[in-house]
Amino acid sequence: MAKQYQSEWTKKVPLKEQLHIMQRLFGYTKRYKGQFIGAIVAAAGLATINILLPRLLQVFMDRYLAHQRATIQILLGVAVLYGLGVMLKAITQFFQSFLFGMGAERAMEDVRRDLFQKLHQLGMRYFDQTPAGSIVSRVTNDTMTLIDYWNVFLSLLVGSFSIISAFIAMWLISPKIALATAAFLPVLLIVIWYYSSYSARVYRHMREKLSQLNTKLNESIEGITIIQQFRQEKRLTDEFEQVNAEYLKTREAMIRTNSLLLAPIVNLLYTLALVVVLSLFGVSALHSFVTAGLVYAFTTYVGNFFNPMTNMMDSLSSLQDGMVAGRRIFRILDQDEYAPAQDADAANEITEGRVEFKHVSFSYDGKNEILHDISFVVEPGQTVALVGHTGSGKSSIINVMMRFYEFYEGQILIDGHDIRSFQTAELRRKMGLVLQDAFMFYGDVASNIRLFNQAITDAQIRAAAEFVQAADFIEQLPGQYHARVIEGGAQFSSGQRQLISFARTLVTNPKILVLDEATANIDTETEAMIQNDLTRLRQGRTSIAIAHRLSTIRDAELILVLDQGRIVERGNHESLVAQKGRYYEMYQLQNGESVTETADSNH
Amino acid sequence: MGIFKKLGWYFKQESRRYLWGVIFLVLVAVVQIVPPKVIGTLVDLIDTHQLTPQKLIMWLGILLSAAILQYLFRYGWRTRIWGGAAKLERTLRSRLFWHFMKMDTTFFQKHRTGDLMAHATNDLTAIQQVAGAGILTFADSIITGGTTIIAMVIFVDWRLTLMALIPMPLLAVASRQLGAHLHTAFGQSQAAFSRLNDKTQESVSGIKVLKTFGQEEADVADFNEIVTKTIAINKRVNMIDGLFDPAISLIIGLTYIVTIIYGGTLVMHHSISIGQLISFISYIAALVWPMFAIGRLFNVLERGNASYDRVDQLLKETSTIIEAPNAIQTPATGDINYAVQKFTYPGDKQPTLMNVAFTLPQGKTLGIVGKVGSGKTTLIKLLLREYDQYQGVIQIDGHDIRDYSLDALLDSIGYVPQDNFLFSTDVRDNIRFADFDRSQAAVEDAAIASAVHDDILTFAQGYETVVGERGVSLSGGQKQRIAIARAMMTDPEILILDDSLSAVDAKTEETILMNLKTMRADQTTIITANRLSSVMHADEIIVMDDGQIIERGTHEALLAEDGWYAEMWLKQQLSQALGGA
Repeated sequence: MAKQYQSEWTKKVPLKEQLHIMQRLFGYTKRYKGQFIGAIVAAAGLATINILLPRLLQVFMDRYLAHQRATIQILLGVAVLYGLGVMLKAITQFFQSFLFGMGAERAMEDVRRDLFQKLHQLGMRYFDQTPAGSIVSRVTNDTMTLIDYWNVFLSLLVGSFSIISAFIAMWLISPKIALATAAFLPVLLIVIWYYSSYSARVYRHMREKLSQLNTKLNESIEGITIIQQFRQEKRLTDEFEQVNAEYLKTREAMIRTNSLLLAPIVNLLYTLALVVVLSLFGVSALHSFVTAGLVYAFTTYVGNFFNPMTNMMDSLSSLQDGMVAGRRIFRILDQDEYAPAQDADAANEITEGRVEFKHVSFSYDGKNEILHDISFVVEPGQTVALVGHTGSGKSSIINVMMRFYEFYEGQILIDGHDIRSFQTAELRRKMGLVLQDAFMFYGDVASNIRLFNQAITDAQIRAAAEFVQAADFIEQLPGQYHARVIEGGAQFSSGQRQLISFARTLVTNPKILVLDEATANIDTETEAMIQNDLTRLRQGRTSIAIAHRLSTIRDAELILVLDQGRIVERGNHESLVAQKGRYYEMYQLQNGESVTETADSNH
Repeated sequence: MGIFKKLGWYFKQESRRYLWGVIFLVLVAVVQIVPPKVIGTLVDLIDTHQLTPQKLIMWLGILLSAAILQYLFRYGWRTRIWGGAAKLERTLRSRLFWHFMKMDTTFFQKHRTGDLMAHATNDLTAIQQVAGAGILTFADSIITGGTTIIAMVIFVDWRLTLMALIPMPLLAVASRQLGAHLHTAFGQSQAAFSRLNDKTQESVSGIKVLKTFGQEEADVADFNEIVTKTIAINKRVNMIDGLFDPAISLIIGLTYIVTIIYGGTLVMHHSISIGQLISFISYIAALVWPMFAIGRLFNVLERGNASYDRVDQLLKETSTIIEAPNAIQTPATGDINYAVQKFTYPGDKQPTLMNVAFTLPQGKTLGIVGKVGSGKTTLIKLLLREYDQYQGVIQIDGHDIRDYSLDALLDSIGYVPQDNFLFSTDVRDNIRFADFDRSQAAVEDAAIASAVHDDILTFAQGYETVVGERGVSLSGGQKQRIAIARAMMTDPEILILDDSLSAVDAKTEETILMNLKTMRADQTTIITANRLSSVMHADEIIVMDDGQIIERGTHEALLAEDGWYAEMWLKQQLSQALGGA
């Protein structure tokens, strides 16, 4: 897996797929046609100006200077004309770069928007299978690569314009010598082809080494405690040094390649072309007349012909990167691991909060069944407690009920209607889930309770916080409800986070409460608050709880004992204890009589 | 320029390389004068009808040799100078890495991973720019700029040269100004990128919450708003970036205009020939880069200097953990005598440990419990010598642990940390982390002892399965057990499990504890835990609260005491039996 990931940048994308990816990537530029066309027009204009300016000087030299006819008016006139030309050139240069840059930027951000939107349409299964880091990298880093990718085409375009216009200008002066210059084109193409295939390999190698280097560095910093405790500093350094040296080697190879095949060789070819051009002019000058300005203009065009090459060749390496990035981006956009869908004409409303599972079976992967034939009813306002060991299927019941995952066998009914006959929004509005791990968002306390729902007023937030007894500690914070919440809510204890997440659920006033009670060890006072909160939260609501707390279990109208995806016992606490079955065994398992008694008296 | 002095040690060390680099640069500059001169001369020969086949061949021959020499010399300086920069980066990276390896916990708390990474990447890039682009532009501006100007004066005319040079300093100014603005704008662009990155990260991590509350659309809208802001910021970058070429065009255009007017006048007065004017125009083109580079040079040096200072600062920090001059080299074994009166974390006001004292006879097991933040892990950290500045003493076999060499102390301890960090290599190498020469059989024994062997066999590649960031994702319990195996592998005199059984289910925990008991009968074990079942079999259990020991004794004694421990025990037993977590 790791090896595959690392070499993705080195693998070649098949040609057919390349074309397909290219086509789709170009699809994103369509919306910004205006900007791209503007940039292309500017590039064409620039190429023309670059031809006209030397032409102006040629005329100036041949008509006036050579014949000693340049009066001060003519000198100033040429200077003004040239000045205007330069200003026009500056303007086209700016627009070519700016318009293309903005077009690429906007198109790239559209890709980002599409990716992000798509992510929210995907089901939990996708997120279970895909590491968060790689998803984030697709949305941010890979899209970034696309800018360079599109820029390749700009530099190719600019280059071709320059070459074509230079050739036309040369042809107008002397078709024969223009053809002689153009004879260098095949040589250049060979150099470009050789460079791009060879440097691509070196470049990829270098990139991979760099990524290894940074991974090693990062990991060594993060794992420093382990490294030091195991006294492995020396070995890790040796390993790092090896990668460091290998990276230097690949970099040196890259420098050598570029020194041999990039700017210096283009310059060499340019000077060789000059030799050819000048010799042809020289030979014809031996028996006919050649003007000075003509030679000047022609040699300048030779420069225009060769100049863009370096840039073009240099940018080619981004082509492959763009392909790899595009491929990974489209893999997400083409992902069909969608979140479970509701009926098209779903329009029911949850009014009572009666929940019924009818013979529900479920598997995450379509192969290994996790839930077998689960049936139970929770009447409005009642509590059902799910009890069982890890892997017994407690969480799966919640996952299925919250529509995080699709199930294919049996039926879940809410108020007597199939769960699919409610719109997702309706389900989310009326069913509140409290997760064991209270996730905090960057922002402030209020925004963490409200989330994005602007309909919730500050007063409601305060009321919710008071109800779950979070108001006390929130009001102690600097800024109170507007106290900043840093990454992951690290400044709060896990108990405080739990209280905030209770408030978050409560403020939406759900009909049905789904609880995944936290087992985390919390200090006694917070623990008492949580116990108290849970009881109060459940009042007047239908509750389905993965129960870890005695209070929840004792209050439950129905306890379901799960084992390997089946309900093996059901009843309330007293009836289950009386039944002397598995629940009773579990209950007895590690507490002696005395403990049970204490628990009872505690209650 | 100060940065060149600061990097003096490197240039001295690489003096040959740089000497050759500069020699090649000089040669390139000299040869570069040739093509414009040849063009101008040939034009004049044609113009005055003095061109003969011999002269043509001679001048073309000169041009041809110039072409080839230029190619060789360019290859020469590029490999020397760019190579020098790459090598400097490597050297500094090595230093930083080795420095990180030696630094203490205080250092790593002060500097977060992201910051250290930034120093080791961005700052080093900026510094190597000084040794590459910096040296190049410095030498190039002087050498190429100088030679070209001399050629202009000698081959053309000194007055024209002077006049044409007037707008040139503007190039340096423009490149410096634009460069500085671009740098600022780019910084903002990077910050915008980070915000996007953080936003995405948060949404992906909190996907379940967002789904639960049906906030998908609102979250997309929030993302799109950030994107819109990012576009606005990048617009500025594009704008400034787009100004570079026009600025060059305009300033050079000014030089051309001067040349047209004044050069034209000179031709009219027969002071120079047309051929000379053409040469002159070519020389102007050769001046663009060196002049522009001067402006860039300032930015490169400025950034390089700031980065060098940052890296230097980092390298100057020293570890507070110092080995005693005549440190004891024999492995630390024996009774542990822990007597810390007070320990306060550097920078904190409140002490984290107060009057913590216990004696742990060799071969016994100590359990440490207490709620989160009570000081359990801190107690362990002092034993591992992550911090030395405390009041009191910790002894092993009667010697202060600060008198042992780090090797002697730490080689005796096997430590399983809370966060059970694994390296991104295969399972086998993670387990035999302390010694890569250990056999597969030894690795398997450790894995069996920590009850993770069967799990490993279910992985696609068994012991060769790569874990960590880029490998398979392991469950928390699997990671913990691999980390335990890693510590067991060294058969340590003292084994410390710092809340490392929390994600392991009750049955497996019992298996591991049983294994430890039988395999480590004569060795010392310290276990900290939230779950009391992890420590119930310990010879002594201490209960920590707020940095102090509030209860101590055996499991039975503590239950009888009916304090925090007893209360917790009851609660956990019920929860465990019913929830099974």
